[in-house]
Amino acid sequence: MFKHSKRHRVLPGFGLSMGYTVIYLSLMILIPIAVLFLKATTISWVEFWETVTDERVVASYKLTFYTSFIAAIVNAIFGTLIAWVLVRYNFFGKKFVDALVDLPFAMPTAVAGIALTTIYAPNGWIGQYFAQLGVKISYTQYGIMIALTFIGLPFVVRSVQPVLQDLDQQYEEAAATLGAHSGQIFFKIIFPAIFPAILTGFALAFARALGEYGSVVFISGNMPMKTEIVPLLIITKLEQYNYGGAAAIAAVMLVFSFILLFLINFWQWKTAKKHQMT
Amino acid sequence: MEMGITLNGVTKVFGAQAAVQDINLEIPTGDFVALLGPSGSGKTTLLRMIAGLEGLDKGKIFFNGVDYSAKTVKERKVGFVFQHYALFKHMTIFENVAFGLKVKPRKWRPSKKEIREKVFELLRLVQLEHVADRYPSQLSGGQRQRIALARALAVEPEVLLLDEPFGALDAKVRQELRHWLRDIHQKLNITTVFVTHDQEEALEMADTVVVMNHGRIEQIGSPQEVYEKPANAFVYSFLGRVNEFRGAALLNVSDKEEAVGYIRPHEILLSKIPKRYSVAAEVSHVHAVGSTVRAVLRRLDTNDFFEVEVALDLYRTLDQFTKGALLYAEFTNIIVFKEKEKLGRSMIVEKVTGEAFSALS
Repeated sequence: MFKHSKRHRVLPGFGLSMGYTVIYLSLMILIPIAVLFLKATTISWVEFWETVTDERVVASYKLTFYTSFIAAIVNAIFGTLIAWVLVRYNFFGKKFVDALVDLPFAMPTAVAGIALTTIYAPNGWIGQYFAQLGVKISYTQYGIMIALTFIGLPFVVRSVQPVLQDLDQQYEEAAATLGAHSGQIFFKIIFPAIFPAILTGFALAFARALGEYGSVVFISGNMPMKTEIVPLLIITKLEQYNYGGAAAIAAVMLVFSFILLFLINFWQWKTAKKHQMT
Repeated sequence: MEMGITLNGVTKVFGAQAAVQDINLEIPTGDFVALLGPSGSGKTTLLRMIAGLEGLDKGKIFFNGVDYSAKTVKERKVGFVFQHYALFKHMTIFENVAFGLKVKPRKWRPSKKEIREKVFELLRLVQLEHVADRYPSQLSGGQRQRIALARALAVEPEVLLLDEPFGALDAKVRQELRHWLRDIHQKLNITTVFVTHDQEEALEMADTVVVMNHGRIEQIGSPQEVYEKPANAFVYSFLGRVNEFRGAALLNVSDKEEAVGYIRPHEILLSKIPKRYSVAAEVSHVHAVGSTVRAVLRRLDTNDFFEVEVALDLYRTLDQFTKGALLYAEFTNIIVFKEKEKLGRSMIVEKVTGEAFSALS
């Protein structure tokens, strides 16, 4: 098989570039992760099992995956909307809005967390109106979701934007001449074309949210069993010099994350393949 | 009731440039019309305006006497075929053709069985029944364009509009599809307007040719009319190969500065011996492939180069002339146009026959 593909290669350098890739990925990702799993084995199986099935830990796993998932969904919807507005319309200050999208990447997450906490606190700018309705945002799951939505916003926008930009208008025009109304044009023509990109952005935002720490710890309130996320528990364990326990929690988190991301990417790959038949 | 499509003073401006300017056109029901013109002449814009894909800045469009100017694409019920097919990549051929039926409001939507029958009927019409389950990427360009037509016909449009339908295809497929589209038109007798920059295509396929330039109509007529009685220099030169003579080469036309003489290569008569009204010329290039021989000659009196086309048997009687040979050319049927510089247009002044042309000299 290797011989076959070798014959058809136009650009040389497969060996060299593949070698770099393997070394780079090993140094940056595989070795650190291996060390993490090694560290997790320093405790006994019983300890490991007790650590990861601890009520408080399980609650934090559930919370982290749940809030990250909701945040990624929200980002998928509104990120697509923002990408749509940025690509399809011309308005004053468009460049500015475009630059604004990247801001969550540039800002230190702790700063974002503190700012969001202040605004959404029961006596904050926006939080006071929700408080009147009896809804508490800061120091609850909603607060976590808002922080995770904030830090994941750019992923979907930046994944969908170029695809939408390259989308040829003639498909929409063709659909319109065939009698489709704008809703049908969006859901039957445009959406299938940008769906793989939305999935990519969703997966990135989801992955980012799973590992987020800095912005969440301020807004969540960190109440055990209620608003404690996994990264916080890991830090807590580290502060107690329980390295093995921290590694165990992290390892389980990593395995779940990997499985989920793998499934999303597989789905993304399948839809993209179907769409890019041409 | 007035039938067909009527355009009344239709104008479209892009920026400071008028893409389409004050177009008046009547297209009777069942007619097969070609909008012919060079790129940038506004023909595609005009077609898109008829479809409703482009708004009007001025004027009105009537379908069967009803004002359609403000109607949306969806309401106009036109079938539109795009140059690059615009088939939906993520749908199979069947789904593509069925699209127009599936998006109908539930009240009017045919049943699944009816849709299936209709789609296969159309696929039979375009002779591509066997590709129903494939994706557009698995078809050739010619097949894709046939599917695009089937898809447009599925909604039973009153008007079929085609934007350079064969522009992206190779010469042989283009030739086949021309005949095929004519057949389809004859079968369905649906009012059809297509855009092309290929004069051969327009003359061969259309019942009516509309020649456009700079956003205006230069001439409307049957293929014979526009070819044999061109309204102006632009139409004449756009519809076929031409030789152009100006100034001194026109010998005795008055107002030489403003006059331009045109003659088609096959209208020039060549002989070995000087005739009464002939001009001496030297052969500078011969291209002898096929049933006609093309040659470029240089007039000895003015040094103008001109192109000549002669039939193969005539070429033999001329001793199969080669480069450097001396021949005598008679310019029968030269047409002299007088240019109106300001408008960039021209008007026919006189049609000078060979005799008059030389007699004046």
